[in-house]
Amino acid sequence: MSSINFYLLEYAYNYIKRHKNKNIFIVLIFTLLVALLASLFFITASLQKELQERIAYTPDIVIQNYRAGMPAAITQKELDRVLEIDGISSGNLRVEGDYEFLKAKRRFHLLGVDPFEPSSDPFIAKLVDENEINATEMLVSKEVLQTMQKAYYSDFFNFVLEDGKLLKLSIKKSFDPKRRYDLHNLILLDKDTLRKIFSYKADEGSDIALYVANKNELDFLASKIRLMLPNAKVISKNDLKLKYKSLFNYDDGVFLSLFVITIFTFFIIIYDKANGLSSQEKREIGILKAIGWRVEDVLQAKFYEAALIALFSFVLGYLVAFVYVFYLKAPLLGKIFADESVLDIANFRLDITMDLSYTLLIFLLSVPLYIAATLIPSWRVATMDADEVMR
Amino acid sequence: MIELKDVSKSYDAKTKALESLNLHLREGEIVVLKGVSGSGKSTILSLIAGLSKPTSGEIIVDGKKISKLPDHFAAAYRRDNIGIVFQKYNLIPTLSVYENVLLPLFPLNLAKEEMDKKAHSVLKKFSIEHKSDMLVKNLSGGEQQRVAIARANINHPKIILADEPTANLDEKLSLEFIDILRELKEKQRTIIVATHDPLFFDLDFIDRVITVAHGKVI
Amino acid sequence: MFLSPEIITLSILNALFLIFGTIAFFNALKIVRFYDKDATTQAQYILEKKSYLSATIIKFIFYVKIPLFIFFIYTLDDLSNILPGAMCAAGVVNATVYGTPLLFLKIINLYIFAFWIELHKEDMENETQPYVKEKFWLYIFAYLFLVAEIVIESVMFGSMDVNSVVDCCGKIFATTSQSYLALLLGAPKTLLLTLFYGLYGIMIVAFVLKNRYLYALSNLFFIALSLITLIAFFGTYIYEQPSHHCPFCLLQSDYHYVGYVLYIMLFLGTFMGILPALLPSKKEKQLFYFKSSLLFNSLYTLLVSLYPLAYYFKNGVWL
Repeated sequence: MSSINFYLLEYAYNYIKRHKNKNIFIVLIFTLLVALLASLFFITASLQKELQERIAYTPDIVIQNYRAGMPAAITQKELDRVLEIDGISSGNLRVEGDYEFLKAKRRFHLLGVDPFEPSSDPFIAKLVDENEINATEMLVSKEVLQTMQKAYYSDFFNFVLEDGKLLKLSIKKSFDPKRRYDLHNLILLDKDTLRKIFSYKADEGSDIALYVANKNELDFLASKIRLMLPNAKVISKNDLKLKYKSLFNYDDGVFLSLFVITIFTFFIIIYDKANGLSSQEKREIGILKAIGWRVEDVLQAKFYEAALIALFSFVLGYLVAFVYVFYLKAPLLGKIFADESVLDIANFRLDITMDLSYTLLIFLLSVPLYIAATLIPSWRVATMDADEVMR
Repeated sequence: MIELKDVSKSYDAKTKALESLNLHLREGEIVVLKGVSGSGKSTILSLIAGLSKPTSGEIIVDGKKISKLPDHFAAAYRRDNIGIVFQKYNLIPTLSVYENVLLPLFPLNLAKEEMDKKAHSVLKKFSIEHKSDMLVKNLSGGEQQRVAIARANINHPKIILADEPTANLDEKLSLEFIDILRELKEKQRTIIVATHDPLFFDLDFIDRVITVAHGKVI
Repeated sequence: MFLSPEIITLSILNALFLIFGTIAFFNALKIVRFYDKDATTQAQYILEKKSYLSATIIKFIFYVKIPLFIFFIYTLDDLSNILPGAMCAAGVVNATVYGTPLLFLKIINLYIFAFWIELHKEDMENETQPYVKEKFWLYIFAYLFLVAEIVIESVMFGSMDVNSVVDCCGKIFATTSQSYLALLLGAPKTLLLTLFYGLYGIMIVAFVLKNRYLYALSNLFFIALSLITLIAFFGTYIYEQPSHHCPFCLLQSDYHYVGYVLYIMLFLGTFMGILPALLPSKKEKQLFYFKSSLLFNSLYTLLVSLYPLAYYFKNGVWL
């Protein structure tokens, strides 16, 4: 490849400036495309990264009982059975779930704690350790406290039980989950008290958390438990990791067709715009050829023109997506992703996550397409009969 | 040195721009092609410049059969041997005089010093050096004319072709142009002017006036 | 079949290559049949214009293919995280029966397209344009290879199964199995190394003699020997493990992506080494190819030899 011809480059730049209107339109479309693609990848990458972080706090294996295809309570009996398996180092029956606070249209996440069963989540373990909660107390997050206060509850809250009776719990303290967005709706309370709220029997729980001694045996043990408890859903940490890794793969036909349509439309628009040459533009190319430019020279200038626009729009689109996702926290678009994976976007930090491979990917999806769209129009222009200039 | 042998050119089945044309020009000659628009004189220029190819016949310049050259060689030949002055100058208004004059050489990607040298030498010769950084759109008609001629001379071409050069000019500028032509003739350039401006038909330094009509030489 | 964004990107660009490549293909057919540079008909002028279009398209395909190939390798490496059992691209390549032929096909296509561009350049420098028809016959041939590559790639990605376990490079490149690969890898190291450095020596001799046929031939064999010795010997020193023979793990960040550097140098060196034999051109140009080729091949040889030497100096023993 020969070195860059700066004279042709400057000519191309000047040419772009001379046809501002058309080119501003093209830059806009291109930037939009890149911004859209980049936002997509930024959002999914950031979500995935955070999901992977959260997995660190989960137990090695979680067992959930199913009845009639729906989640059901699991009992101490299953726990005892499972604890007998060689390789399981420890486990406990957990009581946790969601509570709908209808008045404020919010959902709290209630977690039953037991000081003798420390949580695998260091943040929660610390809270439980530092604050002794008795059967009538609870710890709430800052956000939950705000919600309750808005409903005029200041230092206690009434939970509505299944039979309609009320259970009053006093707010011992509130905590600040800070960067743990997944704990924004958390309430910690005594395990048995929670059983009352969820109408669980004394030996029932919402799921079983297990810990294994040798992580290499994880999959093997998980499959063993599946055989043992055919009605239960057994999810190992490895399963979660894999699931989150391919969470945003675009197997969904709708997504893919939208994608392809966008790319196709982009291509058509660019092709159309590039093809429309005013008689003045045609004349100029004719002059260039008359003064000695070869077809290859015109093509090279046209290529520089396309490259300048493409590179500029690419960088611009990337910056726009960056600001949109990481500073504005992706309004609208983010919700689509959250809904896709049943995640609540408000629960995510959307940290700055950048991957070089994504940059290359977006580059390959946009710039070659743009240049391809200008190939035939540029050729048409470059091979125009120049003798019309003389007439 | 320029020879058109039995040249015919038709643009489609009906229009025949040139018909079995024969023309011979010696080196250093200055020739006027006289004829109305559509007579075929512009086509002759375009063929000599290698901008188009004849439907039949040959064009030989300086012993070289340019009608047979592939496009990129024809363009190189044109760049190195032909200087064209157009009717409407055809300069790029948003580029400077300096850039306009170097435009034919852009693809060559020469070193800056060399480009500088060539530009300034030709700008000086046509007395437009003092405006070298100005944008062409800000120049007067006469100044633009000189830039156009300077551009045509950037590569010291042996042949200068002028297509209706005075069609858009007033008498004063037309006479200025004729003066420049006179100077160029003294430098041994071969010059062909295609025009129907009567100012050219009676000049002392013109070697020949060739009348072209309906694609034939009369 | 799963559609990661990488696979979608590859598919879209493949579709682009297919569309434009086919346009160039039909142009090539017309040119090969009707092109007559002495004709002055309108049809001939149109063909000349079409020739420019085809050349532009082919250049476009080639220049995009290069980063795309690197991206392809990266995608294979990335997929190794999803396919159970695969630890690097080797496992992914072996996940289907299409992987290895596809890889070879892609590399061959890079060589073919690069050669086409050089042939085109040479053709354009001559007033008589001696290679027009040859050029487009070559492209017709290259197009078929291109289509084959795209079809095989689509089938390969389509048939990958996230649920079936694949072998990792440890098993694929083991010296204890029955495959031809194992035979090659099990050959005595001294023999392989003698051949490798010997070929390098022959290359230098051919360079000094400026014999382009000998040089090209030595380069051709050099490709084969480089790859074999890389897998059998030099790779183990890069990994510092006597049983790690994988040619793909080199591409990972653990080894500072040295794989990319080595393969690029090998490709450039050998391509420019074979070129002079296939394409007669001016003295200076040939000299340029000779010199560049020797440079890249030497750099490759040097870099690849550094690893075992460094290991020996550090540890006092060979692996």
